[in-house]
Amino acid sequence: MTSPGDAAPVKPPPSFSPGVPRVASKSRYPNQRRDSSPSLDADLVDSRIRSPTPPLTATTSDLPIRSASPRAPSFRSSTPQLARSSLGSPVEGRFDGAEEIRSLVIRSFSPVVGVYASADTDELVRQKGFAGGFWELIRPFGENVTGKIVIRDSVGASRGWEDYGVRFVDLAGNSLTPNDSSAGRSAPLAQVEDVLEKQLGSTDDPLGGSLRPKDFLNFPSTSPLYKVFLRQLLSISSATPHETFRHPVASVIAISSRNTAPLETLRQLYADTSNGARRLPDWCHSEYLRYYVLVHDEDRDDIAESTKLFDQMKRHFGLHCHLLRLRSNQCVVTDDDSVQVPECEWLSPTERLYGRAEPLVDLDANGFYLFDSDIMAIKAFIRELVAQSVIPFMENRVAVWNDQVAARRRGISGRFMSMSRRWAGFGSSSRSSLMAGGASGNYDVAHGYYKPDVPEAVLRKMADFAFMLRDWKLSASTYELLRSDYANDKAWKYHAGAYEMCAVSMLLNPSAMGTKMKLDGIDQMFDTACYSYLTRCSDAPNALRCLTLAMELLKSRGGSAVESAARWAMRAMDLGLVGSISQGLFSERVSACYAARAPVSGMKWGSRHRKAGMWSVFAADIWLRLGKPSLASAALEEAERLYADVLDADGRFPMPEMQTFIDNLRHAVKVEYLEARGLDTRDDSVTAEALGTEETSEKLDGRMNRKSLIANPLDSGGLGPAQGTRDNDNAANDDFERA
Amino acid sequence: MSYYFTILSPTDVPLFNIAFGTSKSGGDGIARFRFPDTAQYMNQFIIHSSLDVVEEAQWMNGNMYLKHIDTYPPASAYISAFLTPSGARFLLLHQPPQLPSNSAGAGGSMSGSLLLGSGGGSSRASASSVAANPTSPQTEEAVRQFMTEVYENYVKTVMSPFYRQGMEIKSSVFRGRVTAAGRKWL
Repeated sequence: MTSPGDAAPVKPPPSFSPGVPRVASKSRYPNQRRDSSPSLDADLVDSRIRSPTPPLTATTSDLPIRSASPRAPSFRSSTPQLARSSLGSPVEGRFDGAEEIRSLVIRSFSPVVGVYASADTDELVRQKGFAGGFWELIRPFGENVTGKIVIRDSVGASRGWEDYGVRFVDLAGNSLTPNDSSAGRSAPLAQVEDVLEKQLGSTDDPLGGSLRPKDFLNFPSTSPLYKVFLRQLLSISSATPHETFRHPVASVIAISSRNTAPLETLRQLYADTSNGARRLPDWCHSEYLRYYVLVHDEDRDDIAESTKLFDQMKRHFGLHCHLLRLRSNQCVVTDDDSVQVPECEWLSPTERLYGRAEPLVDLDANGFYLFDSDIMAIKAFIRELVAQSVIPFMENRVAVWNDQVAARRRGISGRFMSMSRRWAGFGSSSRSSLMAGGASGNYDVAHGYYKPDVPEAVLRKMADFAFMLRDWKLSASTYELLRSDYANDKAWKYHAGAYEMCAVSMLLNPSAMGTKMKLDGIDQMFDTACYSYLTRCSDAPNALRCLTLAMELLKSRGGSAVESAARWAMRAMDLGLVGSISQGLFSERVSACYAARAPVSGMKWGSRHRKAGMWSVFAADIWLRLGKPSLASAALEEAERLYADVLDADGRFPMPEMQTFIDNLRHAVKVEYLEARGLDTRDDSVTAEALGTEETSEKLDGRMNRKSLIANPLDSGGLGPAQGTRDNDNAANDDFERA
Repeated sequence: MSYYFTILSPTDVPLFNIAFGTSKSGGDGIARFRFPDTAQYMNQFIIHSSLDVVEEAQWMNGNMYLKHIDTYPPASAYISAFLTPSGARFLLLHQPPQLPSNSAGAGGSMSGSLLLGSGGGSSRASASSVAANPTSPQTEEAVRQFMTEVYENYVKTVMSPFYRQGMEIKSSVFRGRVTAAGRKWL
């Protein structure tokens, strides 16, 4: 476990205050890097860049619940076996990077639970300081359900997941309505870019270097900025007809003990969600689980009354009820048992940009606090909701649909049926096959969606449920079944989605660790999906999501798949889907993909260090052009590390033009970095300028570089040496350059 | 089609560089890469990065000519490699010309497309020729012929009593012969 003590010493070391010229005179910043490596754990726990949140980690770990820390399980690998061991030894620590991204991808496809609270409940919660009402109160806790959630898959095997979560959406608000496509196709992508910009702007202070916790035993972890990007990209999507991940699986209906006519209110709320104002759009399946919650006000109301009411509710509504006991007083920091409310992890770009004003900058000032007892109650509530109601409901639906709809299609007769339907000869639906191409007629061409009760839509929903239950084998086979149907109906968005998710489930399925042939098929599927999204539907955000998922999942496969991964990343850049900042991130990602390719055991060849180094250099170039010298310098440093294996001991590039380019880049980064910091290191910048004028005399400059690179084979030569020796190397290196 | 041909020593030091364009189908033999003139280092980066693949392919394959081994998709640059017994590597980067439809979008290559003039049209007309399709068997064959011819000349040059191993090849005769081979085959 990440002990809370690790989080504390993250903060700027005394040697790295802006006034110290010794640090500023380098283009490589060993101090920063060394200081950032202990912060790795903290950054993994709290992958938000800016918020070190020592109070959060410190306090949540005091909770008596096992693994109560809301985010701690999130960075663990999704496989329980690895989860137990991955933190134990530093050697296995390197898997964290890949597993972490994988877990991020998996968690981004969480079931959505609608929240619809009565006015009195929202009023109660507003007293506690949550302007958004009940939804806002429980939202952060849903993203990580405490403890293990056990899910049975379609063949009856159970599996526990530590990092399960659900997403709460406000049924009353507009979070379910799809964002209007007329507002510009790529608007969400522009928003993602804005979020990155904002994130960078606020971290590009002199401490910017600490935003990359890397070089953990020479295995660079993913940069937090990239994780921000990925999280934003994956949380763009709102509810759309073509996939049901964002359709509510269940809905929480809440009343409070203040209500005078509780059962009437509940009935009213239910009516609202089923056919009133809060009804879902036509393309959503309207049968979803209702979960009734009675919020009891501990401070004002009588528990005996509430218990009586709750018993009544149970008699009326059955098992799906919960009595949530909250205090209605507002909690402030100074209270004894105040606990900070965790940040929401999955905010959509819009919310990040226009939501709560700067929630990340100054957590102490406008973070929310709750009583310890409240947090425990909410966590217990959510655990019960998910483990005892939502998951069984989904398992049940999947089993039923699998029996009733999918099995009929899978068998030999099902194939025959669909074929006969397609060729319009006979069969049940031959009447509707007047349309050309043997379309099934279930697709509503005018509105562009399937009705939620036709087999195509039900199968898609079943596949999505199976996906969210992490039964990727079933979901892959179901998506496969659907692909041709959608193609026949020319439902291109559905078609793209089915191809995309089919490939994604195949890659996520741990038992199908693929052969070469499989990988070809997967590439093909991603290609089709990307083409359909982009060319037929001009849906850039989904196309980018598809390509990014392809890259990340192929990368986590390792082996020869990383080459495909890099190719998809290049494709995304080529297609112009990424903005300028993401361009830099993707270049770094390509580099990471190539760097992940391990050499053939015992040989020197088989790795892709030259390619990885090249892309790092390009990334540095992009960062420099964007005016982010600290990022550029980190990328350059990474490139040096990667090139160290393939260059001679003197660290010169054999090709003169490459050497010149790198020298110029290095110099420019150094100068910009100094300028950006605007320090009183007048004499240092003068020396930097002097270096600039001597840039033409290659020999002198080369000597400098030789020194800077000489140390690299030393410190990256052995993967074994512990961090300590590394630091010593850096220190020695320090003196080298100063000499 | 533009070509960049490099001979690398076993320690990756370039011994010989030449850039040329196609002479087939009305080409004038002048290289026009897709990078702007200020970014000619890109060729070397791509060549250098493909050494990773060469190192791997040379153990997987018994031939001296390794065929097309690597691609750099952003610039659609293709790399073919040839190994010599002494450990020197011949690497040929070839890049098909930008299609006219493409170059309309890329504003930066305005001067290039102006210069191309009729070249663009003619290269499209001969779609089956070496220039148009870098991975076709015809191209592989043409590159193989080119490599073999260069290899012959390379052996003769290297056997010169005034040449030490690892020296840059400065012989103008050799350069002329490589150019001639390029004109003949590519």
